[in-house]
Amino acid sequence: MRSDAKLRRSTLLRAAAAAALVAGLGMGVAQAAGVSLVETGSSLLYPLFNIWVPHFEKAYPGVKVTTQSTGSGAGIAQAISGVVQIGASDAYMSDQQIKQNPDILNIPLAISAQAINYNLPGLNDKHLKFSGPVLAGIYTGKITKWNDPAIEKLNPGVKLPDHQIIPVHRTDGSGDTFIFSQYLDFSTPSWANTVGYGTTVSWPAVQGGLGANGNPGMVEALKQNPYAIAYIGVSFYKEVAQAHLGKAMLLNKAGKFVLPTAKTISAAADELVGKTPADERISLVFAPGAMSYPIINYEYAIVNSKQKDAATAKAVKDLLTWASNQGNSESYLKQVEFKALPAAVKKLSAEQIAKISG
Amino acid sequence: MKRASGFRLSLTGIALLIPLALFIIVVFLAQYAWPAIGFNGIRFIGTIDWSLGNLYMNPVTVRGYSVPLGANYGILAFIVGTLLSSFLALLFALPVAVGTAIFLAEAAPDRLRPALSMLVELVAVVPSVVFGLWGIYVLAPLISHYIGPGITAVFGFIPFFNIHNSTGSGFGLLAAAIVLALMITPIIATTLYDALRQVPRELRESAVALGATRFEVVTKTMLPTVRVTLVGGVVLGLGRALGETMAVLMVSGGALNYLPKTIFTPISTMAAFILSQLDSALSDPTGMAVKSLAEIALVLFVITLAVNALARVIVRGATLVRNV
Repeated sequence: MRSDAKLRRSTLLRAAAAAALVAGLGMGVAQAAGVSLVETGSSLLYPLFNIWVPHFEKAYPGVKVTTQSTGSGAGIAQAISGVVQIGASDAYMSDQQIKQNPDILNIPLAISAQAINYNLPGLNDKHLKFSGPVLAGIYTGKITKWNDPAIEKLNPGVKLPDHQIIPVHRTDGSGDTFIFSQYLDFSTPSWANTVGYGTTVSWPAVQGGLGANGNPGMVEALKQNPYAIAYIGVSFYKEVAQAHLGKAMLLNKAGKFVLPTAKTISAAADELVGKTPADERISLVFAPGAMSYPIINYEYAIVNSKQKDAATAKAVKDLLTWASNQGNSESYLKQVEFKALPAAVKKLSAEQIAKISG
Repeated sequence: MKRASGFRLSLTGIALLIPLALFIIVVFLAQYAWPAIGFNGIRFIGTIDWSLGNLYMNPVTVRGYSVPLGANYGILAFIVGTLLSSFLALLFALPVAVGTAIFLAEAAPDRLRPALSMLVELVAVVPSVVFGLWGIYVLAPLISHYIGPGITAVFGFIPFFNIHNSTGSGFGLLAAAIVLALMITPIIATTLYDALRQVPRELRESAVALGATRFEVVTKTMLPTVRVTLVGGVVLGLGRALGETMAVLMVSGGALNYLPKTIFTPISTMAAFILSQLDSALSDPTGMAVKSLAEIALVLFVITLAVNALARVIVRGATLVRNV
C-alpha cells in the first residue's frame, strides 16, 4: 500500500515537472520571436529575394523573413488565402480576380526579363535568332525539326541539325509561362486565337514535349536533353552559363533581333512604364522601340492590404518599402540582371504600400 | 452482460469511424464537384484536351454554367497515363515481390532472415520524394542512355518499344513505372511473406511426405493457401501506385493533350496533374477549374474502387473454379 502511494506521487511529480518545462520553453520561445514573414511564389524573383533578405534583416532586426520558390501561381493563391504575407509573382492578377479579391494589392518590386535558352550541341555559343511566330510554331508542333525552313530563314549561314526539337514548358502555375505566352499571344494571332496566355496554358500536343517544375527544373531539362528549347528567367543566367547553354536573340515589335541585356531591357521599360496605372497591373511584353527586348515584366509582390495585426502590417510595409528603394540599387539587381523601378513607378508603389494596415 | 454490450457498442462505434470517414470524403467530393460534373458530362472521361481557358478575360456562360472563355476539361490522357503506369509497375513488381517473399520464407538462412525482412520493409518507408529525386538524377539518364537503347535493340520492331519514336529524354512512362514498381514491391512482398509464415507446418510436411519437390511445395501448396492475402497485397500496392503523386510528377515528364506513343514518351497521371494544376486552377474566378480537379479526384477514387472490386471477383472466380 505504501509503495503504491509513493509510486503515484513520484509519477505525478514527474508529470508536473515535464509540464512546467514545456510551458517554460513555450513562453521562452514566444518572447524571443519578433515578427515572422513568409514569402513564396515566383522562381524568377526567388534568387533576388534571397539576396535581399539578409541585408533587410540586418536593417530591421525584429523581422525574420522566410523565402520559398513555388511558382507564381502558388504565390498568388497563397497570398489570397492568407497562408503567406507576400506572394511573389511575375504575373499580375486578372480583372476578375481583383473583383473577387478587392483587398489584394499588386506591387512591383523590380523589372525582370526572360530569355529563350536552348541546348544545341556545337551551337550553344551562337546566339540563334527566333521570332514569336517561329516559337509559337515550335510549341504548337507545327515546326518539328531544328533545320525547318522557318528557323533557317531567320538564321542564314548557320548549319542547323536535322533533329527533332524538344520544347520544354512549365508544369506548375508559372509567371514565366505567363510572360512567355503573352509574347506569343501579342506577336502571333493564331496563338492568340487558340492558346492565349496565363500562368498555365493548354500546351498543344507535341509528342515528346517535356514539362519541368520551376526555373531550376527548366535548366535541368535543358542540361539533360540535347536539342531542347525552354523559356528561363534571366535571374538564372549564371546556371545557364555554367551549363554552357545557348541564349537566343528575339524579334521585337520593331522588327529587330535583340539579346536580353541591361540596355535592351531598359529600352523596353522606358517605352511602357509611363503607361503604368494606379493599381500597377500592366503588361510590359512586346514593347515598341528598335532596341526593346520583347519579354520583360514587373516582379509583383501580391499582398493583402488587411494584415492580421499592426506589427505584421508594419513589417510588410517596411520590407516592401526597403525592397523598392534600397533593394533596387545596382549592387543587388546586377547579380540577377534585373532593372530598377523608375521613380514614377516607385511613387505609385509607395501609394499602394500605404494602403496596408493591420 | 451489461458491461459486455456497452463495450461492444463502443467498439462498433469506433470501427465504423473509418467507413464513415471514407463516406464523408466521397460525399464532399461529389457535392463540391457537382457543377463540374454537370458542365463536363460524359465528355470528361472521353476527351484528351484539357484547357483552363483564358483566365485573363471575362468568363462566359456555356450550357448554363459560368466558365472561362475556351475552358474545356478532358482527362482521357490522364486516365490512360495512370492506368498504364500503374499496371506496368505491377507487371515489374509482382514477380520480384513474390520471389522475394518466397525467398524470405523458404530459402533465406535463418540467421539473416530478420535482417533481410527488415531491409525489405525499410524500402516501403522511404518517402516518395526521395524516389522522385533518384529518378531525376539517376534513373532518367540511365533510361535515356542505356535501358532505352537496350530495349529498342531487342524489341524495337514493335513501335511502342522503339525509343526512336520519342524524344528519348528518359522522363516518361517507363521511368514512372519503374519508380512506382520500386515503391509497391515491398508492400506486396511483406504482405505475402507474413502470410507465407502463417501457413501451418503440417501442410508443408504433408506435401513433402507425398513426394513434392521444394518448388512444388511452394507453388502448389503454400501459394494457393495465401491467394486471398496475395490479392490483398496486390490491391494495396496497386492502390498506392494509382494514387502516387510526388514521385510520378518528378519523373513522368508532365505531358499534356496527347497519349503516349511509346513507353519512353512523357505522360501525366491524375494525381500528379491535380497537384501541378492546383495553383493555376485557384486563379479561375468562376471556380469551375478547381471543381473539375475535384472531379478528377472522384474519378480516380472510382477507378481505384473498380480495380479493387475486380481483383476480388477474380479471386472468387478462381477459387470457385478450383473447388468445383
